[in-house]
Amino acid sequence: MKISRGKRRIPIVPINSMSDIAFLLLIFIMLISLINYRKEIKISYPEAEFHEVTQADKNLEIWIDNGGMFYYDGLPIDLAEAEAVIADAIADDPKIRVHILADKNTSYKYVNDLVEILKLLQHRVVSFIVKDGK
Amino acid sequence: MKIQRRKIKKIDIADSGALSDLAFLLIIFFIVIAVFNVNSGFILGIPRKNSTKIINTMDIMKFDLLDSGQIELDGEILPIDKLSGTINTNLEFHPNMTILLRVQREVSYQKVVSFVEVIRKLEVENFSFVLSDKDEL
Repeated sequence: MKISRGKRRIPIVPINSMSDIAFLLLIFIMLISLINYRKEIKISYPEAEFHEVTQADKNLEIWIDNGGMFYYDGLPIDLAEAEAVIADAIADDPKIRVHILADKNTSYKYVNDLVEILKLLQHRVVSFIVKDGK
Repeated sequence: MKIQRRKIKKIDIADSGALSDLAFLLIIFFIVIAVFNVNSGFILGIPRKNSTKIINTMDIMKFDLLDSGQIELDGEILPIDKLSGTINTNLEFHPNMTILLRVQREVSYQKVVSFVEVIRKLEVENFSFVLSDKDEL
Protein backbone atom coordinates (compact mmCIF):
# COMPACT_ATOMS: atom_id res chain seq x y z
CA MET A 1 0.00 0.00 0.00
CA LYS A 2 1.32 3.38 -0.87
CA ILE A 3 1.65 5.64 2.14
CA SER A 4 0.63 9.12 1.28
CA ARG A 5 3.03 11.74 2.51
CA GLY A 6 1.82 15.00 3.80
CA LYS A 7 2.62 17.90 1.57
CA ARG A 8 5.59 19.88 2.73
CA ARG A 9 4.78 23.44 3.42
CA ILE A 10 7.20 26.08 2.28
CA PRO A 11 8.36 28.07 5.35
CA ILE A 12 7.07 31.60 5.27
CA VAL A 13 8.28 34.49 7.33
CA PRO A 14 5.14 36.28 8.54
CA ILE A 15 5.67 39.83 7.36
CA ASN A 16 2.41 40.95 8.90
CA SER A 17 3.81 40.59 12.40
CA MET A 18 6.72 42.89 11.51
CA SER A 19 4.55 45.94 11.89
CA ASP A 20 3.43 44.71 15.32
CA ILE A 21 7.05 44.36 16.43
CA ALA A 22 7.82 47.76 14.98
CA PHE A 23 4.99 49.36 16.90
CA LEU A 24 6.04 47.69 20.12
CA LEU A 25 9.54 49.05 19.60
CA LEU A 26 8.07 52.43 18.87
CA ILE A 27 6.11 52.45 22.12
CA PHE A 28 9.21 51.31 24.01
CA ILE A 29 11.37 54.09 22.57
CA MET A 30 8.67 56.67 23.17
CA LEU A 31 8.54 55.65 26.82
CA ILE A 32 12.33 55.79 27.12
CA SER A 33 12.43 59.23 25.52
CA LEU A 34 9.75 60.38 27.96
CA ILE A 35 11.93 59.21 30.86
CA ASN A 36 14.85 61.25 29.48
CA TYR A 37 12.57 64.15 28.70
CA ARG A 38 14.11 67.49 29.61
CA LYS A 39 11.75 70.19 30.76
CA GLU A 40 13.03 73.07 28.70
CA ILE A 41 12.83 76.64 29.90
CA LYS A 42 12.52 79.26 27.21
CA ILE A 43 15.95 80.86 27.06
CA SER A 44 18.23 82.17 24.34
CA TYR A 45 21.30 79.98 24.56
CA PRO A 46 24.69 81.70 24.48
CA GLU A 47 26.56 80.99 21.29
CA ALA A 48 30.09 79.74 20.76
CA GLU A 49 31.67 78.29 17.65
CA PHE A 50 34.14 76.24 19.63
CA HIS A 51 32.68 74.04 22.35
CA GLU A 52 32.89 70.54 23.75
CA VAL A 53 30.45 67.90 24.91
CA THR A 54 29.97 68.33 28.65
CA GLN A 55 27.41 65.60 29.23
CA ALA A 56 28.41 63.16 31.96
CA ASP A 57 26.85 59.94 33.22
CA LYS A 58 24.87 61.85 35.81
CA ASN A 59 23.82 65.40 35.21
CA LEU A 60 22.06 68.16 37.07
CA GLU A 61 20.69 71.07 35.12
CA ILE A 62 19.93 74.45 36.65
CA TRP A 63 18.35 76.97 34.34
CA ILE A 64 18.50 80.75 34.59
CA ASP A 65 16.16 82.84 32.49
CA ASN A 66 16.61 86.36 31.18
CA GLY A 67 15.28 87.91 34.41
CA GLY A 68 17.58 85.92 36.69
CA MET A 69 14.98 83.40 37.84
CA PHE A 70 16.35 79.93 38.63
CA TYR A 71 14.61 76.77 37.46
CA TYR A 72 15.06 73.14 38.26
CA ASP A 73 13.09 70.39 36.58
CA GLY A 74 10.86 72.96 34.92
CA LEU A 75 9.89 74.66 38.18
CA PRO A 76 11.02 78.07 39.43
CA ILE A 77 13.18 77.96 42.55
CA ASP A 78 14.96 80.53 44.67
CA LEU A 79 18.67 80.51 45.49
CA ALA A 80 18.22 78.65 48.79
CA GLU A 81 16.24 75.93 47.04
CA ALA A 82 18.87 75.76 44.32
CA GLU A 83 21.51 75.22 47.01
CA ALA A 84 19.42 72.45 48.57
CA VAL A 85 18.89 70.76 45.19
CA ILE A 86 22.60 70.88 44.36
CA ALA A 87 23.62 69.73 47.84
CA ASP A 88 21.22 66.75 47.66
CA ALA A 89 22.44 65.83 44.19
CA ILE A 90 26.09 65.98 45.24
CA ALA A 91 25.34 63.96 48.37
CA ASP A 92 23.69 61.29 46.21
CA ASP A 93 26.51 61.23 43.69
CA PRO A 94 29.64 63.35 44.23
CA LYS A 95 30.61 62.87 40.57
CA ILE A 96 27.44 64.50 39.27
CA ARG A 97 28.01 67.16 36.62
CA VAL A 98 26.27 70.46 37.29
CA HIS A 99 25.23 72.27 34.14
CA ILE A 100 24.26 75.91 34.08
CA LEU A 101 21.88 76.75 31.27
CA ALA A 102 21.54 80.50 31.37
CA ASP A 103 20.04 82.97 28.96
CA LYS A 104 22.72 84.77 26.98
CA ASN A 105 21.34 88.15 28.05
CA THR A 106 21.13 87.40 31.75
CA SER A 107 23.49 89.23 34.08
CA TYR A 108 26.53 87.26 35.12
CA LYS A 109 25.79 87.93 38.81
CA TYR A 110 23.04 85.27 38.70
CA VAL A 111 25.39 82.70 37.22
CA ASN A 112 27.97 83.67 39.81
CA ASP A 113 25.45 82.95 42.59
CA LEU A 114 25.36 79.33 41.43
CA VAL A 115 29.14 79.17 41.09
CA GLU A 116 29.46 80.44 44.66
CA ILE A 117 27.12 77.67 45.85
CA LEU A 118 29.31 75.10 44.09
CA LYS A 119 32.39 76.61 45.75
CA LEU A 120 30.70 76.45 49.11
CA LEU A 121 29.76 72.81 48.56
CA GLN A 122 33.30 72.11 47.37
CA HIS A 123 32.15 70.83 44.02
CA ARG A 124 35.02 71.28 41.64
CA VAL A 125 33.43 71.28 38.21
CA VAL A 126 30.78 73.32 36.47
CA SER A 127 29.56 73.24 32.92
CA PHE A 128 28.44 76.33 31.04
CA ILE A 129 26.08 75.24 28.31
CA VAL A 130 26.03 76.91 24.92
CA LYS A 131 23.88 76.52 21.84
CA ASP A 132 24.70 73.34 20.01
CA GLY A 133 25.44 74.56 16.51
CA LYS A 134 26.03 71.16 14.87
CA MET B 1 -23.07 33.99 -22.99
CA LYS B 2 -22.09 34.93 -19.50
CA ILE B 3 -19.23 37.36 -19.29
CA GLN B 4 -16.77 36.49 -16.59
CA ARG B 5 -15.73 39.32 -14.37
CA ARG B 6 -12.29 39.47 -12.99
CA LYS B 7 -12.14 39.15 -9.28
CA ILE B 8 -11.09 42.38 -7.63
CA LYS B 9 -8.33 41.71 -5.15
CA LYS B 10 -8.76 43.31 -1.79
CA ILE B 11 -5.74 45.36 -0.78
CA ASP B 12 -4.62 44.67 2.76
CA ILE B 13 -2.63 47.59 4.16
CA ALA B 14 -0.79 45.38 6.63
CA ASP B 15 0.21 43.05 3.81
CA SER B 16 1.68 45.82 1.76
CA GLY B 17 4.56 46.38 4.16
CA ALA B 18 4.11 50.15 4.11
CA LEU B 19 2.99 50.14 7.70
CA SER B 20 6.22 48.65 8.96
CA ASP B 21 8.19 51.17 6.92
CA LEU B 22 6.25 53.97 8.52
CA ALA B 23 6.79 52.52 11.98
CA PHE B 24 10.52 52.22 11.40
CA LEU B 25 10.71 55.80 10.21
CA LEU B 26 8.97 56.88 13.40
CA ILE B 27 11.42 54.81 15.45
CA ILE B 28 14.37 56.49 13.74
CA PHE B 29 12.78 59.87 14.41
CA PHE B 30 12.42 59.15 18.12
CA ILE B 31 15.95 57.76 18.38
CA VAL B 32 17.29 60.96 16.80
CA ILE B 33 15.22 63.08 19.19
CA ALA B 34 16.48 61.08 22.19
CA VAL B 35 20.15 61.33 21.14
CA PHE B 36 19.82 65.05 20.39
CA ASN B 37 19.51 65.94 24.07
CA VAL B 38 23.24 66.22 24.77
CA ASN B 39 24.70 69.23 26.53
CA SER B 40 27.69 70.95 25.07
CA GLY B 41 29.63 73.95 26.23
CA PHE B 42 32.61 74.48 28.50
CA ILE B 43 33.72 72.54 31.55
CA LEU B 44 35.36 74.80 34.09
CA GLY B 45 37.21 73.92 37.26
CA ILE B 46 36.19 75.72 40.42
CA PRO B 47 38.82 76.55 43.03
CA ARG B 48 38.28 76.08 46.74
CA LYS B 49 36.60 78.98 48.48
CA ASN B 50 39.19 81.46 49.80
CA SER B 51 42.01 79.41 48.31
CA THR B 52 45.08 81.39 47.26
CA LYS B 53 47.90 80.71 44.86
CA ILE B 54 51.13 82.67 44.61
CA ILE B 55 51.89 83.69 41.04
CA ASN B 56 54.74 85.70 39.59
CA THR B 57 53.42 89.14 38.63
CA MET B 58 54.99 88.74 35.18
CA ASP B 59 52.92 85.61 34.60
CA ILE B 60 49.51 87.12 35.08
CA MET B 61 47.19 89.00 32.77
CA LYS B 62 44.31 90.75 34.49
CA PHE B 63 41.27 91.35 32.35
CA ASP B 64 38.17 93.22 33.40
CA LEU B 65 34.87 92.57 31.69
CA LEU B 66 32.90 95.75 32.11
CA ASP B 67 29.13 96.14 32.34
CA SER B 68 29.24 97.83 28.93
CA GLY B 69 30.66 94.62 27.45
CA GLN B 70 34.11 96.11 26.87
CA ILE B 71 37.27 94.33 27.89
CA GLU B 72 39.93 96.12 29.90
CA LEU B 73 43.52 94.94 30.17
CA ASP B 74 45.53 96.67 32.88
CA GLY B 75 43.12 99.62 32.86
CA GLU B 76 43.06 100.07 29.09
CA ILE B 77 40.22 99.11 26.78
CA LEU B 78 41.12 96.20 24.54
CA PRO B 79 39.08 95.62 21.36
CA ILE B 80 37.55 92.13 21.34
CA ASP B 81 39.18 91.29 17.99
CA LYS B 82 42.62 91.92 19.50
CA LEU B 83 42.00 89.75 22.57
CA SER B 84 43.11 86.50 21.02
CA GLY B 85 46.27 88.01 19.51
CA THR B 86 47.26 89.75 22.75
CA ILE B 87 46.91 86.61 24.84
CA ASN B 88 48.71 84.53 22.23
CA THR B 89 51.65 86.94 22.10
CA ASN B 90 51.97 86.88 25.89
CA LEU B 91 51.73 83.09 25.96
CA GLU B 92 54.75 82.84 23.67
CA PHE B 93 56.91 84.68 26.23
CA HIS B 94 55.22 83.30 29.34
CA PRO B 95 53.94 79.76 28.71
CA ASN B 96 52.71 79.50 32.31
CA MET B 97 50.65 82.63 31.94
CA THR B 98 47.62 82.88 34.20
CA ILE B 99 44.62 84.71 32.85
CA LEU B 100 42.50 86.36 35.49
CA LEU B 101 39.10 87.58 34.43
CA ARG B 102 37.15 89.92 36.70
CA VAL B 103 33.55 90.13 35.61
CA GLN B 104 31.32 92.99 36.63
CA ARG B 105 27.88 92.13 37.95
CA GLU B 106 25.75 93.29 35.04
CA VAL B 107 27.83 91.82 32.23
CA SER B 108 25.75 89.64 29.94
CA TYR B 109 26.43 85.92 30.19
CA GLN B 110 27.19 85.79 26.46
CA LYS B 111 30.23 88.05 26.96
CA VAL B 112 31.64 85.72 29.62
CA VAL B 113 31.04 82.68 27.42
CA SER B 114 32.75 84.39 24.48
CA PHE B 115 35.79 85.14 26.64
CA VAL B 116 35.93 81.54 27.86
CA GLU B 117 35.70 80.40 24.24
CA VAL B 118 38.81 82.43 23.34
CA ILE B 119 40.65 80.99 26.36
CA ARG B 120 39.71 77.46 25.36
CA LYS B 121 40.70 78.02 21.75
CA LEU B 122 44.15 79.21 22.84
CA GLU B 123 44.45 76.25 25.24
CA VAL B 124 45.31 78.44 28.21
CA GLU B 125 45.84 76.13 31.16
CA ASN B 126 45.63 78.64 33.98
CA PHE B 127 42.43 80.56 33.81
CA SER B 128 40.58 82.07 36.71
CA PHE B 129 37.40 84.10 36.76
CA VAL B 130 35.81 86.01 39.56
CA LEU B 131 33.01 88.47 40.09
CA SER B 132 34.48 91.94 40.24
CA ASP B 133 33.82 93.91 43.38
CA LYS B 134 34.74 97.21 41.71
CA ASP B 135 31.16 98.33 41.30
CA GLU B 136 30.18 97.18 44.78
CA LEU B 137 32.48 99.64 46.50
